[in-house]
Amino acid sequence: MITVGIDIGSITTKIALMEGKKLLYTDVSLSGYDMEKAWQAIYKKMLERTGKKESDISFLVSTGYGRNNVSISQKKITEISCHAAGAKYFFPKVKAVIDIGGQDSKFIRIDDTGSILDFVMNDKCAAGTGRFLEVMARALHVEIDDFSTLSGKSKKPVTISSMCTVFAESEVISLIAKGENRENIIAGIHDSIASRMISMMKRTGVASPVVMTGGVSKNIGMRKAIEKKIGMTLNVPEQAQVCGAIGAAILGSG
Amino acid sequence: MRLFAYYDTGHEFSEEIVMAAGFTPYKILGDVNVPNDPADRYVHNYICPFSRSCLTEGMARSDEWAGIAFCHGCDTTNNQYDIWKHHVKTDFLYWINTPAKNDATARAYHEHELRRFISHMEKHYRVDITDDKLSEAIRTSNSVKRLMQELAKLRPVKDIPNDAYHAITRKCVQMHKDDLIAALEKTLEEWKNRPAFPSDCLPVLLTGSDMTYPEGMDILEAAKLRAVRDDLSLGERYFAETISEEGDPVKALVDYHARIPMPPTKIPFEARLVYLRKCLKETNVKGIVYQILKFCEPHGLDLPYMAGELKKDGHRLIVIEREYTPTIDQQLVSRLESFREII
Repeated sequence: MITVGIDIGSITTKIALMEGKKLLYTDVSLSGYDMEKAWQAIYKKMLERTGKKESDISFLVSTGYGRNNVSISQKKITEISCHAAGAKYFFPKVKAVIDIGGQDSKFIRIDDTGSILDFVMNDKCAAGTGRFLEVMARALHVEIDDFSTLSGKSKKPVTISSMCTVFAESEVISLIAKGENRENIIAGIHDSIASRMISMMKRTGVASPVVMTGGVSKNIGMRKAIEKKIGMTLNVPEQAQVCGAIGAAILGSG
Repeated sequence: MRLFAYYDTGHEFSEEIVMAAGFTPYKILGDVNVPNDPADRYVHNYICPFSRSCLTEGMARSDEWAGIAFCHGCDTTNNQYDIWKHHVKTDFLYWINTPAKNDATARAYHEHELRRFISHMEKHYRVDITDDKLSEAIRTSNSVKRLMQELAKLRPVKDIPNDAYHAITRKCVQMHKDDLIAALEKTLEEWKNRPAFPSDCLPVLLTGSDMTYPEGMDILEAAKLRAVRDDLSLGERYFAETISEEGDPVKALVDYHARIPMPPTKIPFEARLVYLRKCLKETNVKGIVYQILKFCEPHGLDLPYMAGELKKDGHRLIVIEREYTPTIDQQLVSRLESFREII
């Protein structure tokens, strides 16, 4: 049985194609303004690259904020369930999932059967999300992909106390004006996001093993900051950013 | 009959006193569709947006009102009294200091405050607020509360959209009571004939900040969640109890306010749990939606304890932070749908 999962997030659109339990294909593209165009393009590309026809696909599940825009979707499932299913696919013993995406950060608790026990999400403010990191990268004039390397060079992370993205940006600009080392600022930003995540985790109770999914999981500095605060190692699947789409494809196979 | 406005973000104000004085009580609820200017000139925009909307309404409409009374609905209401004194044109602006505690001393103080308010009303408007008039107003109020109790009982069994219930709770605090009773009787007949509770909707208990406009309920409807119980001021807090029709009517009002479901401004905050647990025992809800209006301090401060206790009781609970906007927030709808999925 061939199933497809499409995850339309606020920043990126992800797709996964599975045959039974075998992951055959994944891809990531920017969501842009037109979510309909975004999924159509990534879907067409998948068919071309894999040589599959639409008639080969038994079931298609959409997830993410743009899930309702996928007109060919046979089922729409929220990203909480899909990220949990995706994490369990890579780490069957998973008990908790940290997912930091473009506009959301989530902590999901899972029981032995893979059912979701509880979840908490960030408040309305974008602080603690991928968008927050993008804003900070812009303020610091560095590429977001360089955050990981630069934070690794930090000797003394600064403390970012503002919990609001806009205020935190002002705080970062003030630190730059004071001549604070860029590496220390980036490490401080990671620490502030990690602190927010820890507060969220403590609301439902921490359980291990913990899997980290979502685009921000690619940032090793961010991962290390969380690991340091929770005192345990995070399991990060190679396909962490596509975990929601993979979970959608898995849930599509019933 | 002329409107007498009151600014009370909870259910602290004794409407019966202004009814006995010959006015129609009108709860100021702001207007989410009107920008919060000019209020923003006088209140910082980190203060509750609903309270700023109320000030905007006060500045625009005070000439339609015979007077305005304040109650300690929340700290923001309380502390805006002086701002209103300076920026809202009215001949009568009165502040009733309803107590936070609920013991014998606090009740005696509350009685004193109500009698002082009555005395000021009598003097200013040259009316006699007699016990007979108060008792009559209490009977009218009780008729409203009993009708609302009947209507609310239909929520878990009939197809009553969230905004339809919300609309009648608003009418309760803004319409003339005789017209209101007629409207509620008509609604009751209509609701009794509605189809059964829809099978694709999940019944939930709604708690936290009051969303004071019907569009505020749209996110629940979009996520196919139906609030069948609540402890809101525009909701069950207003009608869960009736007022004693025996004895001294002022004492009856004090006693009534000591028995109603408690808001987050009261001490101790465990008092709120009593009513929530009663609702959860009486009605088979599948989860709890705990909404916090952005910058709503009393609920923000209550939340960790309350949510923790309700979760310890074994209930599914989701916390959502609401903006003061009529627009449906798809991010919140998505979170509520996730909540629905895990239920």
